[in-house]
Amino acid sequence: MKRKSKKVIEYTFLILLACIFIFPMIWMIASSMKPESSIYVDMGSIQSLLPSLDPSEWFQTYQELFSRFNVFQYIFNSLTYAIVVTLGSIVVNAMAGYAFSKFNFIGKKVLFGLLIALLIVPGETLIITQFTVAHDLGILNTRLAVILPMIANIFFIYLFRNFFNAIPDEIIESVKLDGANYWTIFWKILLPMSKPAIATVGTLSFILSWNDYLWPLMVLTDTEKFPLQVAITNINSTPPVFTNQVMAILTISTIPLIIVYIVAQKYLLQGLGGSGTGIK
Amino acid sequence: MKKFMILIVCSFLVMIIAACSGDKASSDNKNEVSIWVHTSKETTEGKAMQKIIDRFNQEYQGKYSATIEFIPRSGSGGGYEDKINAALTTDTLPDVFTLDGPNTAAYAESGMIAPIDDYISNKDDLLPSIMQQGTYDGKLYAVGYSESGVGIFYNKQMLKDAGIDLSTLPTVDDPWDWNQFMELCETVVNTYDVPAIDMGLNDKSEWLMYAFSPFLWSQGGSIVNEDGTKATGIFNDEDSVKTMSFIQDMVEKGYTTKTPVEKAFQTGKYPMKFTGSWTIAEMESSYPDVEYGIMPYPTSPDTNKLVSPSGSWQYAMSATTEKKEAAGALIDFMTSTESLTEISLANSVLPAAHSVVEEVKDKVSPQMNVLIEQNSKTAHARPALPKYPQVSRVFQQTISDLTYEKNNNIQKLLDQKAALIDKALK
Amino acid sequence: MKNINARENIAAYSFLLPALILLGLFLLVPALIAIYYAFTDYYLLTPDNRQFVGLDNFIAIFKDPIFIQSLKNVGLFVVCVIPVQIGSALGLALLINKQRRGNMFFKVAFFAPVVLSLVVISVLWLYLLNPSEGLINVILERVGINPQPFLTSPDQAMYTIVFVSAWQGAGYQMLIFLAGLQNIPSSVYEASKIDGANKWQNFIHITLPLLKPTSILIMITTLIAAFKLIIQPMVMTQGGPMNSTITPVYYIYQTGFTDRLIGYASTMTVVFGILIGIVTIIQSKVSREDDSK
Repeated sequence: MKRKSKKVIEYTFLILLACIFIFPMIWMIASSMKPESSIYVDMGSIQSLLPSLDPSEWFQTYQELFSRFNVFQYIFNSLTYAIVVTLGSIVVNAMAGYAFSKFNFIGKKVLFGLLIALLIVPGETLIITQFTVAHDLGILNTRLAVILPMIANIFFIYLFRNFFNAIPDEIIESVKLDGANYWTIFWKILLPMSKPAIATVGTLSFILSWNDYLWPLMVLTDTEKFPLQVAITNINSTPPVFTNQVMAILTISTIPLIIVYIVAQKYLLQGLGGSGTGIK
Repeated sequence: MKKFMILIVCSFLVMIIAACSGDKASSDNKNEVSIWVHTSKETTEGKAMQKIIDRFNQEYQGKYSATIEFIPRSGSGGGYEDKINAALTTDTLPDVFTLDGPNTAAYAESGMIAPIDDYISNKDDLLPSIMQQGTYDGKLYAVGYSESGVGIFYNKQMLKDAGIDLSTLPTVDDPWDWNQFMELCETVVNTYDVPAIDMGLNDKSEWLMYAFSPFLWSQGGSIVNEDGTKATGIFNDEDSVKTMSFIQDMVEKGYTTKTPVEKAFQTGKYPMKFTGSWTIAEMESSYPDVEYGIMPYPTSPDTNKLVSPSGSWQYAMSATTEKKEAAGALIDFMTSTESLTEISLANSVLPAAHSVVEEVKDKVSPQMNVLIEQNSKTAHARPALPKYPQVSRVFQQTISDLTYEKNNNIQKLLDQKAALIDKALK
Repeated sequence: MKNINARENIAAYSFLLPALILLGLFLLVPALIAIYYAFTDYYLLTPDNRQFVGLDNFIAIFKDPIFIQSLKNVGLFVVCVIPVQIGSALGLALLINKQRRGNMFFKVAFFAPVVLSLVVISVLWLYLLNPSEGLINVILERVGINPQPFLTSPDQAMYTIVFVSAWQGAGYQMLIFLAGLQNIPSSVYEASKIDGANKWQNFIHITLPLLKPTSILIMITTLIAAFKLIIQPMVMTQGGPMNSTITPVYYIYQTGFTDRLIGYASTMTVVFGILIGIVTIIQSKVSREDDSK
């Protein structure tokens, strides 16, 4: 009996806490499913978190939105960029993390220090010079220009390094004795053992790429190659701004992120199998 | 190790191949011009522009041709302007591009855009505010393709219920002064116990400069001296103090608020809103049940001179283009009566030329006509200064600082702000 | 100490190569160019007219009251946001690091603000924090507290931004803590169970020490991210009221892109970068990371 009431308290607490974090998302979805004027009439009442009372109005905003913009093209572009960036980011950053964690090489400390120093560079202020570099490489107005700068990430390298550090050297030494080369160790042993890190880096770099707006706009001129964020900004800054349409496209753009997150989280638990269910 | 080496080799190859493919915004054909615009092709504005370009290509077939690229901006120009600046540093600007009014001086002064006096055929037809906005150092550098305007939107029912006779409200030919307007506010506040008007004081961006500077001009004041080198003695003179006192009074007496409720006017919570032509389209599509009218700017009681804001995006020619003839022909074509009419009607913006006013007069709503009339008779462009962004920011901060209780000494506040502008103008 | 041999060196650099090339091109080179610009009077619209001006910019920024103000503001922000955000992140991670029905819902809920657009966040929080009609003041009034001005007061605006940032960002660090927690083998806990340790003892003696590498990573990156604060003040207060929420990166952005003074902005970037560097070094010295591995 005591256990049960403890559980009730625990769940009540968690649900209350969850509400504090999730109400904006519910508001966003609800607002996308009602006429523009109701959003502000409802503001402040519980109705603001519920869709229109008339179900025929639920998807009207989405219809308007799809007739105004070629949303599918934008989603396709964003997905392409995000998937390539995510895969590239996992491989490239894990490789670098592996080098820092399991190798002794000349200049290791200096290089690591340099990376940490670069971490403090406020990237937002470098966009013009980054553009000049992209121009000199001749990759402007190609999809490559969107993808390449997003792949290497010091924070993710650091994250992978920490994870590989936690894997005992003995495991590696024993496979080495079996004649495995460095690449095999990395690809077949270390990566499969670091699913939590992969899931984390994967999720975060997907989000990073998905939400990027300014850089793709800078390096692309063909509308056909623009990602979804460009459409969002456009809807949100072309007067008159229709709040319900803004919320609809934001809903569309948030859903893939939530799905990626859920999938990655499931994978994270699965990958651990029996070991480490944490605090019991 | 093998796979790994392949990966490395591949990533190198990608870079090398990529490095070989060149890129330039304009093509080499001398009669083919490119134009960048700040909107997306899906907007009504973008669609109208595409149509105009199509017509240009048809009309000049065999002589000139034009291609248009849509680069949607964010907010007040971010994104698009960053891209223009980046193209400038790499010498990849298109032949023609759009720019916001206040940028004219900076772009012209730095030699980014070329004078286009010789290419524009309908200069007499363009509104004076459009010419004023596109002119720097005596030369025409850019032509606005639309106008914008601000007025006081009022909810007819709410004013009636507060006992106001709508037929006594001001018109462009017979405007009210600040005191008369404040009397109206007082009546309304006493009836509804909410702020009478949302003046957008929560928006701390260009809006504050754009919409509030006309009050200063109406008073006869100014922000900087005529040659744009100094603000001290101008921005802190008696006229500025009077104007700022009026704005501060509006807040302190509760007639307006620095934290308005979102869409309070549209949803019938506040009876009035100080806003621009874009709200007309919003009212039509989302709040058709609200009956509203528009009255002109209130004027200074000392001068009774009606002044309203002005400004828009414009077309300009890149100074580095080698296709001046074609680019000039394109801009002239895009600012012809026909093209301007098309944009005005499509985008529900105010017309930029006298002939266009005549064209659209009967096709737009009565509310729109109030703004059109106010604009063509009283519009005043923002100052043409290369350091405009800094000057505008100081002005915005002045308006926003006014509304804090600590700032009872307006003279002192303006002395400080004028010094800040002086520093930026150096 | 292992032997450093040629084969290992080559292998290590091969693994590093892709990351180094990309970081070099898109981060190091632009950063070096920015350092060069710091000594010039580069005006964005006249790129060909750059002049070398020596230390003029460096002298000017220390006389710039807004830059000094922005340093003070961000200092206040960092001091407040670090404990709040990391504390909440760790708390949330511990709460959901457990097999439980419906756990996925809570995981999504706590992470939701991270993926949510700032448009939604700013509209809603501006509404909730509205001094006259906002829900938060309505609640405060019910419990007998006077309405607060929040973002419209120079004294409260930065604290309000601290709160909203921590609320929005905690889910991000939660995810990394969670990955760290998952990395702790359950056998460790089982062993201590046999020794009769309770939950609290487990937390202090096992979880926290084993989380140390993750915590250091989070501390450093959160610290750096906090120093780079720009978006929240940009959308919620535009740096006001009375410059109380202007931050260095926001001011750099304004100077560089709105005012087009790239040279001056680069100088601020360099000086501010050095300042963050110093703080980061002190901080990591304090937490004494064992780097000898």
